[in-house]
Amino acid sequence: DSSGSRFRRRTRLDHYGESSDSSHGSVTTHVLNTFTGRPAEGLAIHLSRLEDPQQPWIEMMKSSTDTDGRCPPFPAPGTARPGTYKLHFDTGSYWQLLGYTSFYPYVEVVFTITDPSQKLHIPLLLSPFSYTTYRGS
Amino acid sequence: RPSRRAPELLGLGASPRGRLGPKWTQAAASHGSVTTHVLNTFTGRPAEGLAIHLSRLEDPQQPWIEMMKSSTDTDGRCPPFPAPGTARPGTYKLHFDTGSYWQLLGYTSFYPYVEVVFTITDPSQKLHIPLLLSPFSYTTYRGS
Repeated sequence: DSSGSRFRRRTRLDHYGESSDSSHGSVTTHVLNTFTGRPAEGLAIHLSRLEDPQQPWIEMMKSSTDTDGRCPPFPAPGTARPGTYKLHFDTGSYWQLLGYTSFYPYVEVVFTITDPSQKLHIPLLLSPFSYTTYRGS
Repeated sequence: RPSRRAPELLGLGASPRGRLGPKWTQAAASHGSVTTHVLNTFTGRPAEGLAIHLSRLEDPQQPWIEMMKSSTDTDGRCPPFPAPGTARPGTYKLHFDTGSYWQLLGYTSFYPYVEVVFTITDPSQKLHIPLLLSPFSYTTYRGS
């Protein structure tokens, strides 16, 4: 029927619109506590950008992980540009609240965005004396 | 009567001999250090020629203070940091020039560099901080 056709047309346009619009790039993360084998909940994360190597980092957004160790995608739509970024994970505070000592006061992962339309996934596997990060999908 | 920890306060050359003799000298000589070992997990070989800097954070409101820099040998290792007698409790970071390393090998990497920020609580401890490195992933841990 006509309403169904309109819906399908809109869906196709929305899909095309999204894939060609460079403002839809994002950075997501997923923090897993490999000591407990569970997601790391309540861990504060900050995203910053390096505009000029001689200047301090510019903080863009901060968030906190949910019960699944995730938080809303960074950064705000339309603000991703090629450049150098870092994710700062407040791991020291996280372990302290759980009653553990950690070797690392925090973890920072510095990475490069070359294509601002790309969806980047940067997980962190975390334990008190070790961590792993990788570019996922 | 001086405590057994006194030689670390006096410095390397000031350990008295005599009654406390060998143990005293041993305590003075066993200054803490930081070692690292960088492994290229893409090739399965040690990462040679990778520049590493050790810095200390004296004051969170001030820039990091660079203490030493070195470069990995054919086994992915470099001489222990820092200079004997200079390790103190505090916050340190190892900066690994991974971006340049991959670029020289002809690869693009996701990370322009890797920095590992860690805490020294016991300056007499020997800390080993390996880095397992590939163009799109890395792992670090406190080893032994």
